Amino acid sequence: MRRTLWPALLGLLTACGGNFSNEDLEYLNALPTREALASKLPDSSASSVGGLRQRADQLSVGDPSSLYLDTRKASAEFNSALDGLLTLLENIRTVPPTTREPGRRTWGPWPDRNQPGHDVRFVMDRQGAFFAYSLQFKPSKDGDDAWWSFLEGSFKADAGIRKGEGELHLFVDDAVAKGINVGGLRGLTQLDVGYQNKALPSRVEMIFTAPPPSATPELRYTYRELPGGFGEMRFLVKSTDAVPGGLLEDVEITSRWTPDRGGVGTFVILEGDLKGASYRECWNAEGRVSFAKKSWELFGIGLASDCPDVSGFEE
Amino acid sequence: MRRSRRQPGALALALALLLATATQAEPMRRFALVIGNDEGGSDTRPLRYAREDARKMHGLLARLGGVSPADSLLLLNEEAQDVLAALTNLEAQAQAARARGERTALLIYYSGHAKDGALRLGDTRLAFDALKRRLADAPADIRIAILDSCRSGALTRTKGARRAPAFAIDSGATRDAKGLVILTSSSADEDSQESDSLGGSYFSHHLTSGLLGDADRSGDGRVTLFEAYSHAYARTVADTAASSAGPQHPTFSYDLAGNGDLVLTDLRASEGLVVPRSAPPGAYYFVDPGGLVVAELDKAPDLERRVALAPGTYRVKRRLEDRLRIGEVEVRRGQETVLEETRLRDAPFSDDPVKGGRARGSFWTVGMTAGFHSFFDRTVRQSLFLSVPLVGAEANLHDYFREDWVWSFDVALGGRSSRLNLETLEGASYQYSVVSLGTSLTTEWRLGDLSPFAGARLTYLYMGRKFDGGAFPDQYYATFSPGLVAGLRYRLLRRLHLTGRGRLHYLTYNVHEQGTENPNSSLGYWELAALVTYEL
Repeated sequence: MRRTLWPALLGLLTACGGNFSNEDLEYLNALPTREALASKLPDSSASSVGGLRQRADQLSVGDPSSLYLDTRKASAEFNSALDGLLTLLENIRTVPPTTREPGRRTWGPWPDRNQPGHDVRFVMDRQGAFFAYSLQFKPSKDGDDAWWSFLEGSFKADAGIRKGEGELHLFVDDAVAKGINVGGLRGLTQLDVGYQNKALPSRVEMIFTAPPPSATPELRYTYRELPGGFGEMRFLVKSTDAVPGGLLEDVEITSRWTPDRGGVGTFVILEGDLKGASYRECWNAEGRVSFAKKSWELFGIGLASDCPDVSGFEE
Repeated sequence: MRRSRRQPGALALALALLLATATQAEPMRRFALVIGNDEGGSDTRPLRYAREDARKMHGLLARLGGVSPADSLLLLNEEAQDVLAALTNLEAQAQAARARGERTALLIYYSGHAKDGALRLGDTRLAFDALKRRLADAPADIRIAILDSCRSGALTRTKGARRAPAFAIDSGATRDAKGLVILTSSSADEDSQESDSLGGSYFSHHLTSGLLGDADRSGDGRVTLFEAYSHAYARTVADTAASSAGPQHPTFSYDLAGNGDLVLTDLRASEGLVVPRSAPPGAYYFVDPGGLVVAELDKAPDLERRVALAPGTYRVKRRLEDRLRIGEVEVRRGQETVLEETRLRDAPFSDDPVKGGRARGSFWTVGMTAGFHSFFDRTVRQSLFLSVPLVGAEANLHDYFREDWVWSFDVALGGRSSRLNLETLEGASYQYSVVSLGTSLTTEWRLGDLSPFAGARLTYLYMGRKFDGGAFPDQYYATFSPGLVAGLRYRLLRRLHLTGRGRLHYLTYNVHEQGTENPNSSLGYWELAALVTYEL
């Protein structure tokens, strides 16, 4: 019996302590999750059909909606970027804070196995309902003065589960300059995310900033969401052949969708042929065109009454 | 000691004389008042087996002693006035029987405390003198008192009774005996002793064993009062000779007119166990499934003996110098079972079917609990460690370290659903759970069926919560928590106990911010529970 008793008692002793803390939960609540920020575009059978094409070529009702396809692509890019960003925060949630100080929680520092020669830590500061956090690195051989922030964020809590207003900033160019492997983010200067979900519709805005001489020094996605599966994505498509003519166009697309009755997309030509012109296209639940009309034409195709009601997003 | 040893010899002579006239006795209507009381008041320690001894005697008298259920009363842990009232009742019945011309006998058996010249019945007393007068005046031809209590021999010294061996028998007379007989378990200055291995007092055990057949030295299938007494005397003295309390000497006195021994039990019924003439001589023990010896038999060569065991299965042990002979026998209702030597097998002493554990006095109880657990601090119990109902199981080892100490091991589980309601976070639902592993060391005070207890304990307490949908990581806190426990145990049935108890616990909660004045929080919680236990 002694042979089993003592290991059992030692096991119980080592199992003392824990992470049971309400305060820790409030800190963790300030960190965004991909579920809260991701774009949620309903799938459809048309999503695998075709891709970007010139929108002026003999479009007819029932064709795959090119605006819907563009929206899908933008949604995927949006979510992919969020994944990369939030993965950095996911790991923090899996471990309890290393130190708990008044108004501060710190995870680490630890040597970063993915960034040899660097230490990493995550620091969260709290003042009432306002939380600021940063993911910091420093060369392992340097002192505490050498910590610099790769990611900075803040959140103003408004009660509820991750309800509030927040922002994140990823300083990619600093990281590259300091020898951090940024993976797929290389080519960007900075990635900024702002979001709020304390009021409807919830909003997530993502700005990709690239260094010159990039054709698109700033690329902005704005995603809004209403309860029940209604969503809106506003994004810029550069150098696309949107209308007949000798120039390629830069267009701003605003897509709004319903959970099960398709959506409505509009684009405005910012540069290129027919600058200032706009186009409106509606798609059904299968992602196929139900109505389309160009601003420079008198009549469109299909019936405008077939477009779903997405007026909930009107400002 | 020497004086007492001469006593059975004289009785044996008396026995032989009496047996010669016993068959001439007329049928007799028998009344029995059987009393058992574990309690003897505040200046005595509760007995363990007084009520059990009374139950056994009551059953035996009904089964073998010719006492009909309507003519017997069993009083357990009753007070003096209840005893007197019951006695009045039986006296009235005896009076009525006498009026119808029946011969009558009134037997009073008492197992319990006696002190300062009185029976102790809980907090009440029944003076020896008063009892004696009551018996002397009782309207029965023969009155028999059997007292199994400390210093009960004082009763036989009181006026009106002559003490054996000054026991004269008029062998020529044929008149039926009339008068008063008193048997006591100990002399006036001795304690009566109980035995855990026997599950009763030495005296009552040997008296009942003798009445079952071991005292029937004549082998005629009947056990008389004198046979039973002389058997109980010899075996009680022998068993207690080496005890720390010293040898215990039963006493016998009588005030009889006429003669004729009184047959207490008749073994010639159609059921029971027969040890045939051909069976080897020696000491036989009959052990019940609980490991207790219910009857013994010292068999002489070439003599058939009967043991009036109640229907049931028994293990039989015969002790030889170098080994045991053991086997199993089933006594069937309404049938006579013959013990065949071929059904016994050789066994080492280590296979003794008589339980050794109880000889040390320890025993186990196991049970189930249901209760409630809550922290004292309102904020803690509302938002951190919630108040929850608990269910659990526990095992208790009684009288292992010392008498009246109980070492307990328990496990309990509890849980409930809740939602967070924090300053910046509301609505997250989660499942909260508690696991408690504990051990307690308590001392209890046995006051009859009630046993208050108190002690200390140590618990390993695990508290965790799991958030719905994985909204937040699982959290837990585990720690050792010392505490105090107190409660009340009530013996509902012979082996079934009902317990109510409370616990107070202290624990340190250290998931706190460093740099604060007190990084460790001292928390306390309480538990209330009801417990049903079964004695193994």
